[in-house]
Amino acid sequence: MSLSRREFLKSSAAASAAAAIGMSVPAELEAAANQAEGDWRWDKAACRFCGTGCGIMMATKNGKIVAVKGDPAAPVNRGLNCIKGYFNAKIMYGADRLTQPLLRVGADGKFDKKGKFVPVSWQRAYDEMEVHIKKALKHGGPESVAVFASGQYTIMEGYTALKMMKAGFRSNAIDPNARHCMASAVVGFYQTFGVDEPSGCYDDIELTDTIVSWGSNMAEMHPILWSRVTDRKLSNPDRVKVISIQTYTHRTSDLADTEIIFSPNTDGALWNYIAREIVMRDDAEKIIDWDFVKKHMIFAAGPVNIGYGLRREGEKSLKDGKYSAKEMEIVSKEMKTIVSKKEGPALEPYGYKAGDTMNHQAGTLAHWEISYEDYKKSVAPYTLEYTAAIVKGDPDENVEVFKEKLQQLANLYIEKGRKVVSFWTMGMNQHTRGTWVNTLAYNVHFLLNKQANPGDGAFSLTGQPSACGTAREVGTFTHRLPADMMVENPAHRKIAENKWMIPEGTLNAVGVQHIMKIHRDIEDGLVKFAWVNVCNPYQDSASAHHWIKAAREMDNFIVTSDGYPGISAKVSDLILPSAMIYEKWGAYGNAERRTQHWRQQVLPVGDAMSDTWQWVELSKRFTVKDLWGEWAPSGARKEALPSVIEKAKAMGYSENSTMFDILFANKTAKSYQLDQSDAIQKGYDNSEGYGDSRNVVGSDGKVFKGYGFFIQKYLFEEYAAFTRGHGHDLAPFNMYHKVRGLKWPVVDGKETAWRFNAKYDPYAAKATKESGNSHAFYGQIAKALKFGTLSGMDAKTEQKSLANKAKIFARPYMDPPEMPDAAYDTWLCTGRVLEHWHSGTMTMRVPELYRAVPEALCYMHPTDAKNKDLKQGGLCWVESRRGKVKARVETRGRNRPPRGLVFVPWFDEKVFINKVCLDATCPMSKQTDFKKCAVKIYKA
Amino acid sequence: MKTKSKITIGLVAAALLMVGCVGESVKAAPQKAVTKTVNEESLGLRKTDIYTEDATISDKTEYRSAQATTSSKIQRAFQDAPPMIPHDTTGMLPIKTDDNRCITCHMPEIAGSMGATPIPVSHFTDFRPKGKMVNGKFELPTDVMKNEVAIVQEDKLQNARFNCSACHAPQSQGNLAVENTFEAVYTSKDGANRSNWSGGKLTESLDTVGNESFITKDDIANKNSPAGALGGSTH
Repeated sequence: MSLSRREFLKSSAAASAAAAIGMSVPAELEAAANQAEGDWRWDKAACRFCGTGCGIMMATKNGKIVAVKGDPAAPVNRGLNCIKGYFNAKIMYGADRLTQPLLRVGADGKFDKKGKFVPVSWQRAYDEMEVHIKKALKHGGPESVAVFASGQYTIMEGYTALKMMKAGFRSNAIDPNARHCMASAVVGFYQTFGVDEPSGCYDDIELTDTIVSWGSNMAEMHPILWSRVTDRKLSNPDRVKVISIQTYTHRTSDLADTEIIFSPNTDGALWNYIAREIVMRDDAEKIIDWDFVKKHMIFAAGPVNIGYGLRREGEKSLKDGKYSAKEMEIVSKEMKTIVSKKEGPALEPYGYKAGDTMNHQAGTLAHWEISYEDYKKSVAPYTLEYTAAIVKGDPDENVEVFKEKLQQLANLYIEKGRKVVSFWTMGMNQHTRGTWVNTLAYNVHFLLNKQANPGDGAFSLTGQPSACGTAREVGTFTHRLPADMMVENPAHRKIAENKWMIPEGTLNAVGVQHIMKIHRDIEDGLVKFAWVNVCNPYQDSASAHHWIKAAREMDNFIVTSDGYPGISAKVSDLILPSAMIYEKWGAYGNAERRTQHWRQQVLPVGDAMSDTWQWVELSKRFTVKDLWGEWAPSGARKEALPSVIEKAKAMGYSENSTMFDILFANKTAKSYQLDQSDAIQKGYDNSEGYGDSRNVVGSDGKVFKGYGFFIQKYLFEEYAAFTRGHGHDLAPFNMYHKVRGLKWPVVDGKETAWRFNAKYDPYAAKATKESGNSHAFYGQIAKALKFGTLSGMDAKTEQKSLANKAKIFARPYMDPPEMPDAAYDTWLCTGRVLEHWHSGTMTMRVPELYRAVPEALCYMHPTDAKNKDLKQGGLCWVESRRGKVKARVETRGRNRPPRGLVFVPWFDEKVFINKVCLDATCPMSKQTDFKKCAVKIYKA
Repeated sequence: MKTKSKITIGLVAAALLMVGCVGESVKAAPQKAVTKTVNEESLGLRKTDIYTEDATISDKTEYRSAQATTSSKIQRAFQDAPPMIPHDTTGMLPIKTDDNRCITCHMPEIAGSMGATPIPVSHFTDFRPKGKMVNGKFELPTDVMKNEVAIVQEDKLQNARFNCSACHAPQSQGNLAVENTFEAVYTSKDGANRSNWSGGKLTESLDTVGNESFITKDDIANKNSPAGALGGSTH
């Protein structure tokens, strides 16, 4: 394997062509170094963790991973990883990897909900799943079979799960943990642009003059993007400004020129203040780019009395008294609130004043066009006085100093010739008005024509590695189909049915079982079978005590597939061992729309198999007869699902055709050949394709010898078909294996840097050919509106087409449903830390990461600690109306809250903070607000 | 009957395989390795029940208290892995634009005399080709379709690597929550103690599809993908 100098130069020809000054190492040394790594195999892969989507180089030796380094060729991270990125090397080697299915059984060896776990064969596991799925279907039809899906699925896994659920089981009860992470961003995109995913890309960072982080701790949560921000800031410190807008001080503020500490939930007011400055000063200062706005924008509004995504009156578990009186104090606000003094001025343009009763309807996506004059009225209340009064989050900060900061912020946005990028993640998404705040961000950028231009834009950062690529684009949400198609749209269902070669009418049009609804449907007894895939919903959902109780104590069957046993595995009835990321072929899509593929690096451990395999094996257990007959109304579906068995027969299927034959091992699928002479496949394992040397005994009791075709390529290509020609275009499978990812839409082999911008986006170029406009906001969703005012829609008006236009929304500040009071006097905010990923199942098993942060601390202000008689490092209780946990007090750490707020991360199973959190959501996006609820803190 | 005996055999074999993950009860009694059942509590990181919180306490953080100049170094986890911080960091964090205490001891010219790990060459190397606006349009100097790199070694610590704590962290003492079976292999003699990632090693093995690491017209055409198009449907 030692390369000659000539060969070396050839293999890195690109490198030498591009000014590689640092490469003056003599050839002999090169060769010697290579010799030492002679039996190492380096390959490219994507990082397992956050939405940044860094490229890694991974070395394997004798079937084990031995090293990881930052990929110098990866445009995202150019040779650098963060601490989690490097330790991808170790995440699969925790000593307690799940290696066998585990089933709860009683003394008689039969399944017993109250039993202990015993190891069972894959065959036994699938026998049980089959029985319990059939039981669930009998109980409540497709709506009773649910899946907790993931933004960490590979694209192939997500597509497989989606296809089997929607086409096979005809169930839309599949929703990902990405609901908790990105749903508000998505609805924001849909409402504003009519199409999902950000317009900008990471190159914005090197091109901008101003980076504003809104409620996002990028330094810890997107560390490599933060290294790019740091590079930009330090390279031109006078010109480049970094503004950190947060509810508490953290590492992101450490680099900032200005820090603005705001009171939880008031970020919307701050956006409206900036918009007001723009609008009110426009006459005098000519701030608004009216040419851009008139060509590309309309103004819009929607109802404000939309509740908080909590349970509504009449729901079964409320009637059954499963919620305590204390819990009901907050749940009751779902139906009715009294407009507070804080909300009063903001709600006045909408016809409410402080003291009024607001009767809430269930959340709706409805909206209508309004006049610019009405929009202007909506931002009028956000004077500097009012904004500062409600937004200032640090009680110890002088209000005049705070006001100066707000003015400075507005001026930076407004300054002509100053480029501005606004970044956010969970702060604005995990928010009971998350959709609103997302749309408010675009307003400011639009009015200034600082959106979808190089160096300018509001950019929603993604939390998970494939929240964009899998959860959103593949559409593993209850309401979605691939490439922004919706189950409720008959034309979209037809396209999917054609592509999937299933009868017309198979797909279920009612998709409302979002992830919190699935939990609630389990508690209400509608969902009887639930399968957890690549996530940990029993640790990561707020009001957790309800869901773990429902899983353990009710008549249902919960299955968890995972690499390690987390909380979800513990509360399950069956645990399945999953192959982890580098034990399978896969692909992720990151926050800048970049799709990245990797090959299987090593064999899975024990009998673990990929989630793709697990789904495909399940499809063998169900036939046309089992699934495609008539289903009576169930849950929110008020009409019967028709039988499509006759139509299936007409298509050449029989009653006994399995979903495996139809959906996964059809003639087209089999044409994707396994081929060791193919440069992409050569020398690489494919456990699903060939089986492997472990000779795993599969779901039929026989050694699994592989499907015999290149199933991962088939799944990717079939999914990609939905995207191509429709503004989401993915490149061919092979291309991704040759480059470090490409940003969709990829048209004619070229990626798209700035979406909607005619200079960069071929779709925008096409749409503006005649008009010569600079941009085209060509998304298709909600692009015809009626007209109205801030108080409502005028139903008599005609629907007007908004082709190629985006929307600027009027949205007021509103309180969250639970705020600190006399009994629960402190805000609780949850989130992550740099060293741990989500619920910690992987990172807590990496020694370096565990030792870096072995426990979730309760970060608080030293004065609060003193007043509550708490000591640094001492234990305290964190208690809400829902539950309490113990944690150690940290007053000197990396997170430094103002008085009145504590931060407790959620990675630690032993500090089960989601028992304390409230399951209020944005009523439009259904994303939980993990960033605020009220707690009391006292000595433990 | 046959099936039943098969399952029993499966159970025993499986139980043997499971020894590593059934928790303390089995570890304490290895002679009873064929334990058939696994308690919910023995699974995972939290060994107390998850329904109550009274008896559950997190694993206490006990960072090393040794001062920066006196601490013994922690070996790198694998070849060129970022080293962990072996000393007390009280008063050294947070890192601010005008206050980075790490570099006061770890810059290569001082590190030796301080007994500190010197910041390696990779941190003085600029990996990022910077794009520019050319005639109103953004252009990168490297072609992503060819995996081009532009790597320049400089004298200056790179701004992109200013946030030391993004990769290097102090380490708590005491037992791990779970052991890890990763085995480090070092390709250089002192790989456990210093970075070897510089010069030609930076671009080694980047062509991951061998001689075919470039995009062809056939790749773009994707002719051999019968599933790869919708066939005329629009949405």
